Amino acid sequence: MASERMIIMAGADERDLTKLAEYEAVGGYEALQKARAMSPNAVIDEVIASELRGRGGAFFPTGRKWSFVPKPDQNPNPHYLVVNADESEPGSFKDNEIMARVPHRFIEGCLIAAHAVESKSVFIYIRGEYTGPYEVLRSALEELRDRPELRGDVTIVLHRGAGAYICGEETALLESLEGKRGQPRTKPPFPAVQGLNASPTVVNNVETMATLPPIIEMGGAEYAKLGVPDSRGTRVVSISGHVERPGNYEIENGTSMRALIYDLGGGIPGGRELKAVIPGGSSTVILKGDEIDVGYDFNSLLKLNTAMGSAGVVALDERCCMVQLGIRISEFYEHESCGKCTPCREGTRWMTQILRRLESGDALQSELDLLLDVCDRINGKCLCPLGETAAIAVASYVEKFRAEFIAHVEQGGCPFGESSPLHDVVAPGAMHLHSASSAVPA
Amino acid sequence: MSAAETVTLTIDGVEIEVPMGTGLVEAALVAGIEIPVFCYEPRLGPPVGACRMCLCQVEPGPPKPQAACTLTAQDGMVVRTALTSQVAADAQNATLEFILVNHPLDCPVCDKGGECPLQDLTFRYGPGNTRMTFPKRTFEKPIPVSPLIALDRERCILCYRCTRFSEDVAEDGQLVAVNRGAGTMIATFGDEPYRAPFSGNVIELCPVGALTSTTYRFEARPWEIQDVPTVCGMCPVGCNVNATTREGKVKRILSRNHPEVDDGWLCDKGRFAYAHLHAEDRLRDPILRVRRRGFEEVSWERALDEAERLLRESDGRIVTALSGSETVEQAYALGKVLRRGLGAHTAFFPEEMSDALDAFRVPLSAIRDADVVAVLGDAPVVEHAPVVELWIKEARRRGARVLYELDEEAVRSAGKAILVWCGPGGHGGATVAALAQRLGASGAFYIPDTANGRGVCDAWSCSDDAESPSPDPVGLLIVSGDEAAANPDVRALAEKAERVIVISMFQGLAAGWADLVLPGTSYLERDGSYVNLEGRVQRLRRTVIPPVPDELAWISKLAERFDVELSPYPSQVFEEVSGIAFGGIPFGEIGDRAPLPAATAATAPIEVPPEPTQNGGLRLVRYRPLFSGPAVDRVRELAFQRPLPEAELSEQDARTRGIRNGEEITIRSNGTSVRLRTRLSRELRPGVVRVAEDFAGDLQPTVEISK
Amino acid sequence: MSTYYEEVQAIKTQYPNWRSATLPALRLAQEKHGYLSPEALRECAEALGTTPAFCEAVASFYEMLHLAPTGRHMVEVCTNVSCALVGAQQVLESFEQELGIRAGETTEDGEVTLRPIECLGGCGWATVVSIDHHYRTHVKPEDVPAIVQELRSGE
Ligand SMILES: Cc1cc2nc3c(=O)[nH]c(=O)nc-3n(C[C@H](O)[C@H](O)[C@H](O)COP(=O)(O)O)c2cc1C
Ligand code: SF4
Ligand code: FES
Repeated sequence: MASERMIIMAGADERDLTKLAEYEAVGGYEALQKARAMSPNAVIDEVIASELRGRGGAFFPTGRKWSFVPKPDQNPNPHYLVVNADESEPGSFKDNEIMARVPHRFIEGCLIAAHAVESKSVFIYIRGEYTGPYEVLRSALEELRDRPELRGDVTIVLHRGAGAYICGEETALLESLEGKRGQPRTKPPFPAVQGLNASPTVVNNVETMATLPPIIEMGGAEYAKLGVPDSRGTRVVSISGHVERPGNYEIENGTSMRALIYDLGGGIPGGRELKAVIPGGSSTVILKGDEIDVGYDFNSLLKLNTAMGSAGVVALDERCCMVQLGIRISEFYEHESCGKCTPCREGTRWMTQILRRLESGDALQSELDLLLDVCDRINGKCLCPLGETAAIAVASYVEKFRAEFIAHVEQGGCPFGESSPLHDVVAPGAMHLHSASSAVPA
Repeated sequence: MSAAETVTLTIDGVEIEVPMGTGLVEAALVAGIEIPVFCYEPRLGPPVGACRMCLCQVEPGPPKPQAACTLTAQDGMVVRTALTSQVAADAQNATLEFILVNHPLDCPVCDKGGECPLQDLTFRYGPGNTRMTFPKRTFEKPIPVSPLIALDRERCILCYRCTRFSEDVAEDGQLVAVNRGAGTMIATFGDEPYRAPFSGNVIELCPVGALTSTTYRFEARPWEIQDVPTVCGMCPVGCNVNATTREGKVKRILSRNHPEVDDGWLCDKGRFAYAHLHAEDRLRDPILRVRRRGFEEVSWERALDEAERLLRESDGRIVTALSGSETVEQAYALGKVLRRGLGAHTAFFPEEMSDALDAFRVPLSAIRDADVVAVLGDAPVVEHAPVVELWIKEARRRGARVLYELDEEAVRSAGKAILVWCGPGGHGGATVAALAQRLGASGAFYIPDTANGRGVCDAWSCSDDAESPSPDPVGLLIVSGDEAAANPDVRALAEKAERVIVISMFQGLAAGWADLVLPGTSYLERDGSYVNLEGRVQRLRRTVIPPVPDELAWISKLAERFDVELSPYPSQVFEEVSGIAFGGIPFGEIGDRAPLPAATAATAPIEVPPEPTQNGGLRLVRYRPLFSGPAVDRVRELAFQRPLPEAELSEQDARTRGIRNGEEITIRSNGTSVRLRTRLSRELRPGVVRVAEDFAGDLQPTVEISK
Repeated sequence: MSTYYEEVQAIKTQYPNWRSATLPALRLAQEKHGYLSPEALRECAEALGTTPAFCEAVASFYEMLHLAPTGRHMVEVCTNVSCALVGAQQVLESFEQELGIRAGETTEDGEVTLRPIECLGGCGWATVVSIDHHYRTHVKPEDVPAIVQELRSGE
């Protein structure tokens, strides 16, 4: 029987940790004092020892990332810490709960990171829709205002997004934070060297930050004892879709996915069959219902060509039509494509068009091949991963459920039709086209 | 970065050595290999890697194809383009398929057809057929982005060249991309036109037929046209251009990138004013004043007889008013006839010119590389020498300090400091030259009012050595060219002259006040040379046959009548002048991308009378706006570019008076006053108010302002 | 004008570069004008010291900034996969019925705008509906009438 292992969310069930006093009562901000007593390099070494990897999706070793940042004497420009709180990946809602329930642990983590990378200025880019977590963080920062010994000489600015999934991509986020359209930049140069205002910048995820206090507290080596090789420590996993008890669960990396879905998640409602699982948010390769006897960790999932991504586990039961899933996911990426690079902008639109025709039953076998070819032509050609993951995810639906796609062609329609919960779901899609500037000069 | 350091890499098996920092696209060219691009354009700043046309296999690096335009050559790099890599070939083919998925393919009716990179690259790298069986994205089209530019959003491939130009080069922030994803489109704000001095450049930047010139639309097909290389005669920069002609008519003006002069940019005046050639009031025959019957058109023979008579009757009491738009050859010819033939040495020049600057001569491109640029004189550079403004902006983007008020210490301590004088006074450049000498600046420019003022002075002065006192009363005033004809001072002089000969292109300027009017020609119709504000001698070519004989032709005929030897051929006249004034550069060498003569050795300390000092009040600087003058007045499409009723104010002066950007203010000087909208300018020093001639009325040089 | 202008100047000081104040400035302008009308964009540009075109370019990129009028209340139903799996579409449709409009429209009286929206980051609490940017979780079709009532009674 799998159980949770609370490190990040520790204490949140027993007390209201949004209150500074309560948080301090459970030893809050002691890790910060401990870290500040250490040299920046020592803190980086601790984090390297902990083998912590970024929780935003790319799973990049956090300590390594910090070590790329030029030291103040190498680069006189101000150093920035930018926290990625733009959580918008379908299936993920962990950062939401972390900020809402353990804001001080999160902020403490930010201050520890700021010390490590010698930054005096922290920007938290929080997705615009997150009014709740925003209010919580704001009052948490209020509480710190008259605690200079905690704040130190670091300023933390809450910067609210305005609704754009792509702004979660670190370079798009920086563009957006600079007040521009959120379109990704080419890398190199990497943010660590030229980020915000072309100055050294570390971009890290909310959960990554919230994991720092426990790491400093227990020591990197101790933390590295949790989890499995290459995937150390705990992870807040978002479980949603067709499970009895959806929600966020903090688990040790390596816990079996079956346990996630059947023990923590409570299994599939109505005694239905599990058909498929999206393991790490919409951007990841889908798993068939019988592929879940696998540890929830980097290496195990890699063997199945997929990933933990942003730890958004979505369970789909037997009623779901995979073509309809393809349409909805493709519509999402088409809608969120920033429009900068050609393959993503044009390709995702084309994918949606083909998928719609497949669902309607008017498509030929050749168009199924065309769909795969279009995905293939997008994949590996884009400026940022958004377009790529759209293609990879949708292609994985076809590869794993080919028979179902072919059935659409052969039966001239959808075998599931209305009985599938994903039938005819209205997506924002075309509603993004503002018309204000289609009126034009005389 | 010292060009000495080089790196060696392999492209499609060819090993090449290039300077460190060379982009892969350029490196490939060295190897004679083309890497296809759409969005890549180094003049627009750092690469954006948007279109994905340039995908190549690059090692070391990730296995997937890389956007070559975003990479620079590294030692030991192995690059494989579509020529040798299937991966790259497939990637480029894919990009083109995606670009064409929503492209209307209306090439037969597209102005770009035949000179379109998208056509060419599709031909070379693209898919032969279309697999797109769905409705294409459609937009309302074509849309007038301004009276000069039409936009077809369906043809647009979103390379963002135009918007990057607007934001990162011209910095006018007016042409932008709106919406996102597949709904992204190019737009201006609401229904306001793209109103900015450099807007036309986006037409040339557009790699497809999305942005086209309203004045060129449907005028010609690429195989019917001929491009004639010449230089723009609209301002002292002398941007290098190609005049596209069809059936003896100029159809458009394109840039002919001179990297030291214009970097491939043109202002809208230089690009669109060519239509003045076909002005309604263009003169085609000489006009003679005849007693009682007023004026009548006469033959050229008759006109020259009359000219000869007027010249002889005035027995040397002649004043020649020059425009500064004459070619060097034309000015020299006039001088030679009048001075050697009639001893008439007195000329009225449009402006003062000093050669003190020659000691600080550097190419305009040197501004870009400066650490400090001091812009003095208080007049707006963009209105007098537009492209110089672009060089200054680029300098600022590259980290240079741009000063609008002299900070001697900053100039002295700068590694590379460039001084630019633009405005009233300045003694033809002597003032700024003296400053450069005193502060050790590495270069200095003086921005004259006229396109060839320098060349005209040099030519006139070397046409003879003798001098004579200015005649009084003036027997004959010769008004050479439209700018002189439009000049109030010249008109005043004409009042006092017994007789007047006017050389002008336009009835509107010449009629009524001259005894003899000789039709003039435009810089686009003459062969010869101009000297730009750098001191660069550049070749002007006859792009179309003028409707009237050009000036040099008839001046040489006139010369015969006074036994002055004068060739009708610009080449020969030039050699004559060059021998005296331009160190003997041959005509052949100034034709393509003319070289800049070396700076003369710095001489004895340059003496200049001090500039007038301001006592109390604000200094009013009135300037002639870029979009004005005889040619612009005759081009309907440029009307919307006319200046707005605004007064520019420094932020400091505005703050101390509690004036906000956009507020109406009153400007007054003893008695008269005008009311204008304020525009705060970071490019104006405190103590100065800047107003275009059109709105300055009778204001005196010293003014007071109030809300 | 002036208060907005001053507010924006204050926001600028929080950032190393004035441009970073663009999103906050646009958000404020929208709150002040109801939506980002040409006037609102001009005012925003004035305060930022940039062009209206630049402001429109940025605004039109983001889902939460509106260049066309919207209702006084904004009802946004997440219809991404996790919510759809447990009936988001049915929730959206009952809003359509209760309000008598289609998704993407605004009620005659200009009170309520209804639209589907991409994942709101509350997948475990599906269906998530954002009402004037405050989340309602576990929304079922049968909860909709009460919610609309609430909006209409203007709380
Ligand atoms: C399309 C796209 C969306 C992303 N969205 C997020 C996000 O919402 N939150 C996040 O932390 N990282 C997101 N990422 C990953 C970030 O680019 C970046 O890798 C991460 O914030 C780094 O922080 P970490 O190292 O702590 O994980 C996204 C990446 C892409 C390509
Ligand atoms: S892949 Fe999509 S989101 Fe990423 S840069 Fe290209 S267009 Fe923008
Ligand atoms: S030319 Fe390289 S991406 Fe456009």
